[in-house]
Amino acid sequence: MPLPLQYNLYQSSVEPMQVDAPTEDNDNNEEETYTVENPSLDLDVYSNSYTGLAKLYRLIYIVNHCPSLRLEALKMAITYVMTTYNVNLYQMLHQKLSEITSSAGLPDIAVQPGSSQDVPAIDGSWMESRSKKAAMKLEKLDTDLKNYKSNSIKESIRRGHDDLGDHYLDCGDLSNALKCYSRARDYCTSGKHVVNMCMNVIKVSVYLQNWSHVLSYVSKAESTPDFTEMQTKDSNQHIVTKLKCAAGLADLATKKYKSAAKNFLLANLDHCDFPELISPNNVAMYGGLCALATFDRHELQKNVIFSSSFKLFLELEPQLRDIILKFYESKYASCLKLLEEIKDNLLLDMYIAAHVNTLYMQIRNRALIQYFSPYLSADMRKMATAFNRTVNALEDELMQLILEGQIQARIDSHNKILFAKDVDQRSTTFEKTLQMGKEYQRRTRMLILRAAVLKNKIHVKSPQRETSGQSGEITVAPGTSSVARN
Amino acid sequence: MASALELFVNTVRNSSAEGSYRDLCDYLNKSSELLLKNATHLDNVLETLDIQQHSLAILAILCAKFNVPAAAAQSNRYAQAQEFILGCNGEHIRLAPDMFAELCHSITLYLLEQKQAIRGIMLLKKAISKLQYYDTQLTSIHADFCQLSLVAKCFKETLKVLDIDITGMCQENTQNGPFDAKYYLLYYYYGGMIYLAVRNLERALYFFEVCITTPALAVSHIMMEAYRKYILVSLLSYGKVQMIPKYTAQVVTRFIKPISQPYHDLANAYASNKSVELSAVVAKNAEVYTRDRNMGLVNQVVAMMHKKNIQRLTKTFLTLSLGDVASRVGLESPSDAEIIILHMIEDGQIYATINQKDGMVVFRDEPEKYKKYMKLEAQLISCMELDRQILAMDEEIQVNPQYVKKVAGLQDDEQSSKNTYAM
Amino acid sequence: MPTAMVLESIDKLAEELERQELEAPNGVATTQVYEQLLAIYLYQNDLCNAKCLWKRIPANIKSSTAELGQIWAVGQHMWKREFPQIYKALTAVKWSDIVAEIMKHVQDKVRLRAVDLISHAYSSITLETVAQMTGLTVEVAGAACIEKGWHIEADTRMVHPVRPSPEPSGHISSEDQLYKLTDFVSFLEN
Repeated sequence: MPLPLQYNLYQSSVEPMQVDAPTEDNDNNEEETYTVENPSLDLDVYSNSYTGLAKLYRLIYIVNHCPSLRLEALKMAITYVMTTYNVNLYQMLHQKLSEITSSAGLPDIAVQPGSSQDVPAIDGSWMESRSKKAAMKLEKLDTDLKNYKSNSIKESIRRGHDDLGDHYLDCGDLSNALKCYSRARDYCTSGKHVVNMCMNVIKVSVYLQNWSHVLSYVSKAESTPDFTEMQTKDSNQHIVTKLKCAAGLADLATKKYKSAAKNFLLANLDHCDFPELISPNNVAMYGGLCALATFDRHELQKNVIFSSSFKLFLELEPQLRDIILKFYESKYASCLKLLEEIKDNLLLDMYIAAHVNTLYMQIRNRALIQYFSPYLSADMRKMATAFNRTVNALEDELMQLILEGQIQARIDSHNKILFAKDVDQRSTTFEKTLQMGKEYQRRTRMLILRAAVLKNKIHVKSPQRETSGQSGEITVAPGTSSVARN
Repeated sequence: MASALELFVNTVRNSSAEGSYRDLCDYLNKSSELLLKNATHLDNVLETLDIQQHSLAILAILCAKFNVPAAAAQSNRYAQAQEFILGCNGEHIRLAPDMFAELCHSITLYLLEQKQAIRGIMLLKKAISKLQYYDTQLTSIHADFCQLSLVAKCFKETLKVLDIDITGMCQENTQNGPFDAKYYLLYYYYGGMIYLAVRNLERALYFFEVCITTPALAVSHIMMEAYRKYILVSLLSYGKVQMIPKYTAQVVTRFIKPISQPYHDLANAYASNKSVELSAVVAKNAEVYTRDRNMGLVNQVVAMMHKKNIQRLTKTFLTLSLGDVASRVGLESPSDAEIIILHMIEDGQIYATINQKDGMVVFRDEPEKYKKYMKLEAQLISCMELDRQILAMDEEIQVNPQYVKKVAGLQDDEQSSKNTYAM
Repeated sequence: MPTAMVLESIDKLAEELERQELEAPNGVATTQVYEQLLAIYLYQNDLCNAKCLWKRIPANIKSSTAELGQIWAVGQHMWKREFPQIYKALTAVKWSDIVAEIMKHVQDKVRLRAVDLISHAYSSITLETVAQMTGLTVEVAGAACIEKGWHIEADTRMVHPVRPSPEPSGHISSEDQLYKLTDFVSFLEN
C-alpha cells in the first residue's frame, strides 16, 4: 500500500521536498499513479470520521489521487495539522499547496475562480513558536520521566513513557513514539496495562504500516491473562472491537482477505469508536467486500446477511448492503453495476484502494461460478449479457477459472456453449493413485540412496581444491550438451 | 635393480601362495615407487605372474605402467589392461578397490586421449561388475563409464547400468572418505546428461536432483551445472520448477541459486504462459545459456511452451478452431497449429481429433482407460518391492550394535531427565 | 549378411551389430555395420539412437560412403515428421543390397504409422493430405481409403477416417488375478 509520506515522516529528520519520492516498495508504484475524476465523496463528513494522523493521512491520500478534491482536502489538512505539533507535516502540506496553486495550468484550479484568495499562506512564526513549544513540552516530559525513574515508581514511569509517546505522536515522530510506547511495557503491573501498551503500539504500527507488528501485538493483547476474564465486561467490548479492526486492517493489507473479512465481521458497532484508526463505515466496507470476495454462499448468508451485529454496519453503507443482497439473489448484472458505482470512492480510501481490483475480480469470479453452478450447459451469449462482457472476453475469463479448477466445465467455442464437465471419479482416482505411487517410489529410491550417501560420508568439501579439480572434470566431456540438444 | 624386482616377484608369489592377500595389498601399496622406477622391466615381471593367482600384483604393475610419463609409456599397456580386466580374479581385486578404480580412471584418460572412447564401454562395464559385490553398488568407475559413453555418444549399454538404482557404495577408501564425492557427483551428472540425450526426462530429473541434494559444505561446479539443468528439465517435464527437497545443502539455496538468475528468469517467464515474454528472456540471456551449453535445452523449453499452452486449451475447450488455437497459443498460422496438434496426438500428449473440413479441433477425454489398470498393477508390485527393501534396511539398523547401544543409552538419558523433572 | 532376412530377426541383427561396433578394433566398425544399424534404428523408429549413431560414425567413413548420408537424410525427415519428404528421400535412392530390404521395411513402417495417425487424429481430412502422408498418388490413396472403409465425399474429396476401437484389455486368467489380488491386499493390510 502506497504511502510515500511516512517514509519521511517517521524519520524525524524530514526533508519535505522528498515527499513524492517513491517508497522503497517498487510493486506499488503502479497503484500510486492513478487519479480519480468523479468521486461522490462528501469530504467534510469523511474528514470528520477521523482524528489524528488517520485524518491527515487519509486527506493526503485524497490530495494525491483526486485532482477535483485536492485543494479542499489540502486546506482541511492544514487547518487540522495546526492543532498538532506536527510542524514538519505542516511545512510539507504548504509545499504541496504552493505546487498546486502555482501550476495554474491545472484545470481543476481554473474552475474554482478566486480560490487563490482562500489559500492560506505559510505561517513562519507559527512554525517557529510551535516548534519551540513542542521542544519545551518534550523537555518537560523528559525531566518528569527522569524524576519518576529516580523515584522508581513503576506506575508513574509507565505513564511518563506513555505521555512522551503521545507527544511524539503529536509531533509526527512515529519511530520515537513507538519506542516510548514499547518501553512502557517493562513497567506494566496489570493485564490492563499490557493491553493498553499493546493498543498504543498497534496504533503507531498501523500508521507505520508495519502489519506483522500489528498482528503480533493484537495476539499479544488477546493472550494477556486478564484480557480473557474481562471479556464479558462492557468496556472490554471496545477493546475487542478495536483489536479485531486492527487485525482486519493488517490482513487486508497483506491480502489475506478471508481472514480480514472474519475479523471485521467480529466488530461491534456500539463499541466501534476509534477515529484515530478506522471509521465504522470503513469496517462495513472492508468487511463486506472481503466477505463478498471470499465467502461461499452459505458463509455469506450466515455470517454477513443474517448477522445481527454486522447488519448494523451495513445500514451505514446502504449501497454495499444492496450489492451484497443483489449478489445473494443472483442478480449479478445489477450487483456488478452497483460495484462499479462505488469504485471511485473506494479508490480514494488509502487502505482498500490497492485491493479494489483484486477484490472486484474475485467477486466477479465468484459470481461467474455461482451463475453456472446449477447448469449442465449454458449459452455463453446470454451469460455475457448477464455479466456485461463480450462473448470473447467472457471466454477468456471462463478459461482462467476452468484452469484454476474453480469451474468444472469446458467451452464449446464453436457453438459458444459452456458445458459442465462430468468428472469421472474412477478415472481421476486412478490418475491420482498412479501419481502418488510414482512419487512414492521416486522418493523412496532417493531415500535409500541418501542413506547410502550418508553412511559413506559423501559430501562436497574443501572449497579451493575441490572446485578447481571439478571444473576441470566437467570440461573433460566436451560437446556433450550438443547430444542433449536434440 | 633387477634384484629388487626379483624380490618383488618372490614376495608376491609367497603371499599369494599363503593366501595372505591383505598383507599383499599393503606390500603392493608400498611398492608403487619401486615399480615406477623399473617401468621398462615390468613386462618381464608380468610374464612370471599368473592372471588368476596374482591378480593384485598385476594390477599394481599395470597401474604403474599407466602412471609413467607419456613419453616413456609402452604401447602394449592398453591391451594388457584389457586382458587383465576381462580375466582377473574378482575376489582378489575387490581387496584393492582403490587401485582397481585407479587403473580404470587411467584407462579412461588414455581412451579419451586416443579419441577411442567407444572401445572402453564394454571394458568398463565388465570392470564395474568385477568390482561390485552386488549390482546396485556404486563404484567410482561408474563415472568413467558414463563419461566414455557420453563422449562416444553410445548409450545403449550404459543405460542398462544407469537404470539400476544404487543402494550402496563401493568402499574405495580414498583420501576423501570411503567414497569420493567427486565421482558420486560426476556419475549422477553424466547420467543425467545421458538420460537427456535419450529423452528420458523423468530419469534425467531424478539424476540431477540426486546431484544437487548431495551433502555439501562448499559450492561444487558439478552441482551448479546440475542445478541449472535441473531447472530446465523440470520445466520440460512438469511445466514448472519442482521444489527442491528440504534436505538440500544450504550452499545450493545460498550460493548456487543467486548465480543462476537467468535460469530463474526463464522459469518465471515460462510460468507466465506467454511466449513473447519467454522469447524476450531467451534473447536477453542467450549468451549465458550458450556459454553454459544449455541452449539446446532452452530451445526445447521454448518449443514446449506451445505444447503446454495447447494442453491448457484441452482442459478448457471442447471445440476450438485451428485459427483460435493459433492465436491463443501465439502461433503464426492455423496450419502451424495443426502440425503441432498432430504431433501431440501422435505422442499421446493430448487427445483430440482434427476436422480439416471446417478447420476445427475437438478435444476429447483420455480414452483407453484400461491401460491405467495395468500400470497400477505394475506400480503396486514395485511399491511392494521397495517396501520390502526398506523393511530390510530397517531391520539392519535395528540389529546394528551401535544403534542398539545408542537407543538404549537414550532411554537411560530420558529416564534420568524425567527424574530430574520430577524432582 | 543374410539377404533373406526375416522381420523377427531384425532385433537380433541389431544386437549383433551393436556388439560388433562396440568390439571393433580401434573403435571403428565396418561401413556395413554402420549402414545396417542406422537403417534398423530407423525401422525401429528409434531416432535418438539413430542420431547418436550418425554422430559417432567417423567423418572419413561418412564422406567415403554416400549411402550413409542418404539413410540419415531419411532419418532427419523422420525426426521432423515431414511425411512427403520421408517418402521422397526413400524413393530417390536405389539402395544397395546391404540395406535395400531394411529400407523397404522402413517405408512400410512409416506408411503404417501415417495411416494409424490419420485414423486417430482426424475426423475429416482432404484426400490430398492423405496422399501426402502415405506417399501414394491421390488415386491409389483414394482406393486404399475405400478399402479401409473410410467414406470419401464425392464433391469435396473429404475423407472421413474411421477411428479404430480400442483393443479390449489384455485377458488375464482369473486365477492369476486372484493371486495378485491376494498379494496386494495382504500387503496393504500389513
